Amino acid sequence: MSHSAISVENVHLSLGDAAARVHVLRGLDVHIGRGEAVGIVGPSGSGKSTLLMTMAGLERPDEGQVRVAGEDLGRLDEDGLARFRGENVGLVFQSFHLIPNMTAIENVAVPLELTGQPDAFERARAALERVGLSHRLDHYPTALSGGEQQRVALARALVTEPKILFADEPTGNLDGETGKQIIELVFALQREHQATLVLVTHDEGLAARCDRVIAMRDGEIVGGEAGIGRAAE
Amino acid sequence: MTAVTETAGEAAATSPVSRLPLPLRFAARELRGGLRGFAVFIVCIALGVGAIAAVGSISRALVDGISEQGQTILGGDVSVSLVHRELPEGELAGLESLGEVSKIATLRAMARRPDGETQTLVELKAVDDAYPLVGELEVSGADTASGALAATDDTHGLLAEAGFAARLGIEVGDAVEIGNGRFTLSGIIEQEPDRLSDGGIGWGPRAIVSHEGLEASGLVQPGSLLRYTYRVLLDGVASDARVAQVAEGLESEFPDAGWRVRTRDNASPRLKESIDRFSMYLVLVGLTALIVGGVGVANAVTAYVERRREGIATLKSLGASRRVVFLTYLSAILILAAGAILIGLAFGAAAPPIAGLFLRDALPVTNYGPFPGELAKAALYGLLTALAFALWPLGIAREIPARALFQGRAQDQGAWPARWLTVLLAAVVLALCGLAILFAADRFLAAIIVGSAAAIFVALRLVAWGIMAGARALPRSGPLAWRMALTAIHRPGAVTPSAVLSLGLGLTLLVAVAQTDGNLTRQLTVSLPDRAPSFFFLDIPRNAAEDLRQTIEEVAPDATVEEVPMLRGRIVSLEGVPVSEIEPHPDAAWVLRGDRGLTYAETPPGNGEIVAGSWWPENYQGEPLVSFAAELAEQLGLEVGDRVEVNVLGRTIEARIANLRKVEWESLSINFVMVFSPNTFAGAPHMVLATASLSDAEERGGAEARLMREVTRDFPTVTMVRVREALNSINDIVRQLAWAIRGASGFTLLAGIVVLGGALAASHRHRIHDAVILKTLGATRGRLLWTYVLEFGLLGLVTAAFATIAGTIAAWAVVTFVMQLDFVVFPWVALAAATGALAVTIGLGLVGTWRVLGQRPGPWLRNE
Ligand SMILES: Nc1ncnc2c1ncn2[C@@H]1O[C@H](COP(=O)(O)OP(=O)(O)OP(=O)(O)O)[C@@H](O)[C@H]1O
Ligand SMILES: [Mg+2]
Repeated sequence: MSHSAISVENVHLSLGDAAARVHVLRGLDVHIGRGEAVGIVGPSGSGKSTLLMTMAGLERPDEGQVRVAGEDLGRLDEDGLARFRGENVGLVFQSFHLIPNMTAIENVAVPLELTGQPDAFERARAALERVGLSHRLDHYPTALSGGEQQRVALARALVTEPKILFADEPTGNLDGETGKQIIELVFALQREHQATLVLVTHDEGLAARCDRVIAMRDGEIVGGEAGIGRAAE
Repeated sequence: MTAVTETAGEAAATSPVSRLPLPLRFAARELRGGLRGFAVFIVCIALGVGAIAAVGSISRALVDGISEQGQTILGGDVSVSLVHRELPEGELAGLESLGEVSKIATLRAMARRPDGETQTLVELKAVDDAYPLVGELEVSGADTASGALAATDDTHGLLAEAGFAARLGIEVGDAVEIGNGRFTLSGIIEQEPDRLSDGGIGWGPRAIVSHEGLEASGLVQPGSLLRYTYRVLLDGVASDARVAQVAEGLESEFPDAGWRVRTRDNASPRLKESIDRFSMYLVLVGLTALIVGGVGVANAVTAYVERRREGIATLKSLGASRRVVFLTYLSAILILAAGAILIGLAFGAAAPPIAGLFLRDALPVTNYGPFPGELAKAALYGLLTALAFALWPLGIAREIPARALFQGRAQDQGAWPARWLTVLLAAVVLALCGLAILFAADRFLAAIIVGSAAAIFVALRLVAWGIMAGARALPRSGPLAWRMALTAIHRPGAVTPSAVLSLGLGLTLLVAVAQTDGNLTRQLTVSLPDRAPSFFFLDIPRNAAEDLRQTIEEVAPDATVEEVPMLRGRIVSLEGVPVSEIEPHPDAAWVLRGDRGLTYAETPPGNGEIVAGSWWPENYQGEPLVSFAAELAEQLGLEVGDRVEVNVLGRTIEARIANLRKVEWESLSINFVMVFSPNTFAGAPHMVLATASLSDAEERGGAEARLMREVTRDFPTVTMVRVREALNSINDIVRQLAWAIRGASGFTLLAGIVVLGGALAASHRHRIHDAVILKTLGATRGRLLWTYVLEFGLLGLVTAAFATIAGTIAAWAVVTFVMQLDFVVFPWVALAAATGALAVTIGLGLVGTWRVLGQRPGPWLRNE
């Protein structure tokens, strides 16, 4: 499937050393099409985050191949992967991971600055405006609420117009109402940018809003089903 | 876009910072939040750089002062000096054609009160009317300096230092006798412009008379230890080039004059050399302070990287390369280091004016700096140290992986720092050591010191590692406090490595300094009088030697008297190479620099073992032979059979080295570099040098004072040096230098304590966490306290033990190999070091953890 946004083939991965070694991913095959929204669900410790990290080039499989946006991640070195992420991938985490010594607008501008965009700050401002934070540009992360921080993180993940957005339980640290607002924003932005979305979540209802849901258990895929995302359109 | 958002965003977009290269831009964002967590870093670098900059600046101020005031110190632009010989007409005329000439004569002599009750050795200088050609002789108690020296009736005027009058118990206007002459103390010298020109240690107070006065004293005898110096103030404006040219001209025009020519730009070579050497020691001690501080730097940077872990991982997840991350944090560290270095430099630049307040009278400082060269050196040391200790943690920062952002993966380690970083680190360390050696006055010695410091550093790391491994390996049994202390010592992030390193380095240095110092003092004060003679008698006329011996035997029948013939001469060439073309080993340079005492002997001296060659036979009549001091011969590259040419009383004599002799200089008995075969100086006029060693009973019975009185009365032209007194003046100097070195070592210890304090503060969170948990589990404060005492006591004990041993070994090496003295261990030094180390570690540890003990568990558990 050469036109897949992401293709994971027969990936094995073990973590930890010696006695504590765990076979986390056990021969996975995943293919995700361009613009598709895929939810990954499964019990705690089943390997969801590890799969996401492998797809984002943050973890190297022991075996198997990972292609993302046409690039064979196995061929890239550390810095190549970093550059690849900067250009193609947006990441959103459960804990928001804003850089504490940078203001909101600086946080959002970083990925653009890293690729040397001259209009980094204009685009960062526009992105923050889009997530409704035009009045918080010069605030440091500690002066923002959790929901606001996650919105900054979202703006930062999407400011480079990445082809793929990875989100690992983006609402895990937020209360229900705020979480809902964030997730609406995620889906809205994904559609706007026509990005591929991979969303790890414990929330079945949330997963069901994706085009497709992949269920994991003990490092293996135990089922896939269509979501309601496309149907709702 | 609304107006409000525009101003907000625009500020960031167009500020000057936004035009900087990316890593610098990020570094600026790192630092604008303030310097919390960098206090130790800044103090450590500033302290080390400050110490080095201060030492460098002060010694530069002194050396510059000496060369700037060279004309005043030398007493003219050019001077030529000869031993007990005035300049012949031709040469004198040659000098007078160049400019104004002033003649002075210097010697040591005995001065006594006419009633014979008090006497003192005096550094006597005879001057003419032209004196001083440069500068001003300031006196009190007399109207004019020149008038004060004039003769009235049968007495001559004399000016002297206040100490002279005090020792003799006389006042201005009173009479005093020197040699066979009568003088009147007509004023007190307040300021003598050229007093540093001799550069040596003064054995007695200084006094000035006229040439007529000196003549009248009868001290001018062939072979007496008298030096004539002619100073020339060149006509017109004399550039340095002109002065050099004149000096060269004098050497080439009168190749056989046998004089020593000096110019104003090298007015006091001995003093300059002493300052250079001494400041080298201090700079090396300062470097140790910097290296101890380096441990603090490493701790601070490691902690910083740890604090920034999440931010770094985030940057990586956003596409930042390792290069950007590395450069960002390197820039931040370098900016901080630059700030700290500036603080240190400010202190260094302020040092000469501050020191000037104390040294103004003693030394000729005119320029108080700042001295850019010295400051640049100190800055370079600071920069290299910061890099040497920051590169490794920065290399770790470079490898922090983006996956650390995921739940449960925060502590994921990245790869080891890259190989090129290891190479860079090695290069920086080598550069640091290399510069320390390159900039030193004595590179060989500096290399030894740097090498030992490096060895001690590595050894301390091993000790720390050993302590942790030991604590880990010990069985988990025994009382709870003990088990907890062991755990605290070896757990990851324990203070053990930094405590052992910082305290260990500082303490080792201190022990080394204290042991060396103790040995030196012991050698000079305790052990010497056992072996050393009580008196030296100089300038004994040959025909008076027998009478003098009788006088000594009458006053002190048990005394041992030793006599040797004594001539003055200087080495002209070695193996045919003129002395001026020889680049001697610095320790042997003095042998070639001017006049030496020479002697001859039929049989080998009792105190010198022949290590090569053989002594000449009795009644030897062949070519002149000489016995040379073995070690100096080696330093000068001389061997048995080599030729040495000496100039004695204007005559040049060539002798072949017959043997090499081991000389123990510190025994203070009569020692000569060169002992010639008796036929060498056949017929040359000479004087006799004698020593007298009184028995203990005689010394206690006041025989010394009686001998002084009788000899000065009956042999007025003989100069007596009381060894005890002379040693005291050396001791004073040694003691002052020792204080300077101790002070500089104090910097190192201070740096060590700052580092230790910083490391303890950094481990606070850990300790509070543990203490809180333990308290909720029912541990009392007493039990916690006991745990800390055990932990820090153990660390302090091992560190002190190491420092005592390593410091003592270092001192042994310095005393045995560099100073060539016998070494004795001073146990109290070791004991004091051990107690001090224990007190500091336990004290600092407890002060740091006292607050921990008081923490109420509630708030901490809620914050978890
Ligand atoms: N560094 C590591 N060493 C050893 N095992 C590890 C390491 N990191 C993760 N694991 C193990 O890998 C398995 C998968 O972890 P992962 O974080 O992918 O699970 P997850 O499905 O995201 O769980 P959760 O829903 O709790 O976030 C777990 O059993 C975990 O214990
Ligand atoms: Mg997870």
